[in-house]
Amino acid sequence: MTRIQVLWLICFGIVGFFLAFPFIYGGRDYEYIMHICITGFFYAILASSWSMLAGYGGQFSFGHMGFMGLGAYGTALFSHYFYLSPEPTGLCTEFAFGDQYFIIKNPVGVTSSTLTQDCLTKALENWNGTVEVTPMPIVLGILIGASLGALFGFLIGMLVLRLRAAYLALFTLGFSEILRATISAEIDITRGQAGIELPHLFENGVVLFGYEFTKTDKIPPYFVMFFLLLACLAILAWLAQSRFGLFIRALREDEDAAAALGINIVRYKVLVFVITCTMAALAGAVQAHYIGIITPNNLMIMQMSLVVAMAVIGGLENFAAAAIGAIIIEFILEMLRNSFVIGGVEVDMTIWRLVFFGVLLMVTLRFYRNGLITPIIEYFTRAHVAAETVAKRSSESSNSPTA
Amino acid sequence: MEFAPIFWWTTLWLLVWGIVGSIGTRRIYLAKDLDTSNAVLMGALIGASLGPIGLLFLWLKTPEASKKLIILPSLLTVGILMTAFALADPENNCVSNSSFVLSQITNGLIIGIIYGLMALGLTLIFSILGVVSFSHGEFYMIGGMITYYVTVVWFPGISPIAGILIACLATFILGALFERLFLTPMYDGRIERPVEYGILVTFGLAFTLMYFVQAVAGSNPVKAKRFFDFPRIRFPSKEDPWLIKTSRGNMELFDTVSISNPRFIAAVISILVLLGLLFFLYKTWTGKALRAVSQDREAAAIAGINPHRMNMLAFAMGGMIAALSGATLVQAFSWLPHVGLIPAMRSFVIVVLGGLGSLPGAFFGGIIIGLVEAAGTGCVPDPQKASSYIPAYGMIVLTLTLLLRPTGLMGRRFASGTHGKL
Repeated sequence: MTRIQVLWLICFGIVGFFLAFPFIYGGRDYEYIMHICITGFFYAILASSWSMLAGYGGQFSFGHMGFMGLGAYGTALFSHYFYLSPEPTGLCTEFAFGDQYFIIKNPVGVTSSTLTQDCLTKALENWNGTVEVTPMPIVLGILIGASLGALFGFLIGMLVLRLRAAYLALFTLGFSEILRATISAEIDITRGQAGIELPHLFENGVVLFGYEFTKTDKIPPYFVMFFLLLACLAILAWLAQSRFGLFIRALREDEDAAAALGINIVRYKVLVFVITCTMAALAGAVQAHYIGIITPNNLMIMQMSLVVAMAVIGGLENFAAAAIGAIIIEFILEMLRNSFVIGGVEVDMTIWRLVFFGVLLMVTLRFYRNGLITPIIEYFTRAHVAAETVAKRSSESSNSPTA
Repeated sequence: MEFAPIFWWTTLWLLVWGIVGSIGTRRIYLAKDLDTSNAVLMGALIGASLGPIGLLFLWLKTPEASKKLIILPSLLTVGILMTAFALADPENNCVSNSSFVLSQITNGLIIGIIYGLMALGLTLIFSILGVVSFSHGEFYMIGGMITYYVTVVWFPGISPIAGILIACLATFILGALFERLFLTPMYDGRIERPVEYGILVTFGLAFTLMYFVQAVAGSNPVKAKRFFDFPRIRFPSKEDPWLIKTSRGNMELFDTVSISNPRFIAAVISILVLLGLLFFLYKTWTGKALRAVSQDREAAAIAGINPHRMNMLAFAMGGMIAALSGATLVQAFSWLPHVGLIPAMRSFVIVVLGGLGSLPGAFFGGIIIGLVEAAGTGCVPDPQKASSYIPAYGMIVLTLTLLLRPTGLMGRRFASGTHGKL
C-alpha cells in the first residue's frame, strides 16, 4: 500500500469515526462531549476557511470573526423581526403576501418593562390565542446570513485590493471592530451586550429515520455542522487543487509577477474573500442557531485569535490540517478546564490553559512554521520531497556563476 | 431629540462627490501619466468641498491646479460638515455651549498627546523592523499593571516615579527577550513572508500576555492612587484665592476648561518623555543609528551599525514606550487584563494616519485622533451610543486614510520594512 492510500484510509477512518461517534459513545458526559464536537466543527470551518484566505491567498484578514458575526446577526435579526400571519395586526408594519401578511416587528429597547411591548406581542394579546403567527423558516435566515457574508466579503475584497500585509490586517481588524461597536451601540435593534436570542436549529423537533429528536437534542445539530464542515472542506479541496488554488498561491508569492503572467488579480482576490467569508458567515449562522444566543462579544479580537491560533498550530498553508488542528485544539482546551491544587496553591486552569495555548502558538510559529499537523500529512503525500527538489534546484541555480 | 435630515443629506452629498472626485481624478491622472499618490485624496476633498464645479475646474486644469490643493478643501469639508451639524441640531451642547466645546478640545488635546506617545512606540518598531506589533496594547496593559502592583500592592508608599521606572525596565527586558527569541529568524530570509510572520507571532505574544496577566492578577478592575497631589487651581477666580491646597484638586481655567489631575500629570509626563525621546533620537549616537537603520538598512550596516542590535533596541523601546503610557494612565482609568485592546487599535489608527514609520506623524496623528474622539463623544446626541461608538470613530478615520491616502499624513513611501509596497 502506498503512503497516499494510507492517507485516504485515514481520512475515511476519521470521517467514519465522526459519523458513528454519536451512536457508539455512551459516557455520562454525552451532551457535553457532543457540544465540544459541534463547537470543534464550527471552529474547524472558520480555521480552514481562514487558512484558505491567509495561507493560500496571503490575505491576512483579521476580520474573519466579523464575517462570522454578520452571518449570525443576519439570521438572528431576520428570525427576530419578520413573521407571517394570516390576519393583519393593525399595529405593525405589514404587507399582504399571498393570503398571508408579512409582519415586521418594531424594535423595542432592552429595559425589562418594554421587553414584551413590541407590536406583535400586543397583537397576539388582542387576538387571545385565536391566530397563529408563523416565524420565518430558519434555513432562509441562514441563507440570508450567508449571503450577507458574501456581500460584505465582496465589498471588503474590493476595498482592500490595493492594501498589503500590515495594512490589510489593520483594515480588516477595523472592519470587525466597527461592526462590533455598531452592534453594541444599536441597543434598540440588536439588544447590545445583552445579546439576541435565536430559535433552535430544529425548533419543532425533527424526525430522522423513525427516531424523534426534540429541539435540544444534540444529534441533529451535530450532523448539520459536520456535513457543513465536510461540504466546506470538499469545496476548499476542489479550489485548492484547481487553477483557482494555483492562481491565488501565485498572487500570494508575487502579485506583480502573477499579473504579468495573465492572472486577473482583481477577480481572484475578491473571489477568495467572497468564498471564505461566505463560509465563515454560514458557520456563524448555524452555530448561532445551535447555541440559541449571539452577543457582540463573539466578534471580539480574542475570538479571532483563537481561530488564528488553531489555523497556525494545525498548519496555515493546508486547510485540512487547519481543520483537524481546530478540532483537536478545541478538545484539548475543554479537557484542560479542570483546576488542580499544587502545594496549597489552586491553579485556575480556565485561564492558564489559554496561556499555554498562546505559548504553543508562538513556539509553533517559531520552530514548526508549517504547523504541527501539516508535516504528518506531508509525510503521506510526499510533498516535502517535491519541495526539497525545488529548493535544491533553486539553490543550485543561484549559486551558479551565470545567475 | 430628533436628528434633522439636513445633516444626513449633506453627508450623502459630500460622500457622493467625494467618491466621484476620487475615482475621476485618479482616472485622469492615470490617463495623463502623472503620479497618482495624491490624486485620490485631492479629488475626494475637492469633490466633497466644492462639488461638481470644483471637480470640473480640477479636471480641466489637471497638472497646474493640482499643487497645494489639500489644506483648503479639507478645512472646507470639515467646515461644511460642522455647519450642517449646527443647522441640524442647534440645541446640541457642541453647538450652543462654547465652554463645553473649549473643554472638550482641551481634553482631546491632552489625551491626544498621551495617545501620540503610545503610537510613537508602535511607529518606532515599524520603522526599524517593518513589523506592526500586535502586542503593543499588551505592553501598555503590563506597564499599568506593574506600576499598580509596585505602588499599591508590593511596596505601598513608594514614589510612583519608581513604579513607572520599574515598569519601563521590566517591559524593556521583556521586549528585548521576545525579539531575540522570536523575531530574529525574520531578518535573514529564513522565513518566506516576514511581515506576516511578525504579525502572527506578536499576535501570539499578545494572547499569551493577556491571559497570563489575567491568570496572575485576576480579572477584577484595579486602579492606582493619584501619583501626585495637586492643589486646586482656579484661574482667574474672584471669590477664592486662585490656589487652594487640597489633595483632590483639579485645574480649572477661565471658568470653562477643567482638567482632571491624573490626565494632566499623564500629559506632563508624556511631554517630558517625548522631549527625552526626541533628544535621544536626534542627538545621541544610538538614536542616530536607529534612524539610519530605519532609512536604509544596508547603508547603515556599511557605516558600521549593527542592524540586528538596533532591531532589538527598537522593539524593546517601542514596548517600553507603550508601557510608559500605560503606567501614566493607570491612575486615570481602572485597569483590567484586556484594557490594552482599544489603545492598541487606536495606536494602529494613529500610525496609519500619521504614516507608518513616521515619528512626527505619530505625534500629530495622536492629537488628531484625540480631537476626533472628543468631538465624537461630545457631539453624538445619545450619550450612551456615543460612548459605545468610541472604538468606531478611530476606525472610520483609519478606513478613510487607507482608502484615500494609504501613506498617511507624513508617510515615507519607502519605509524600510515595506520596501515601497503597501
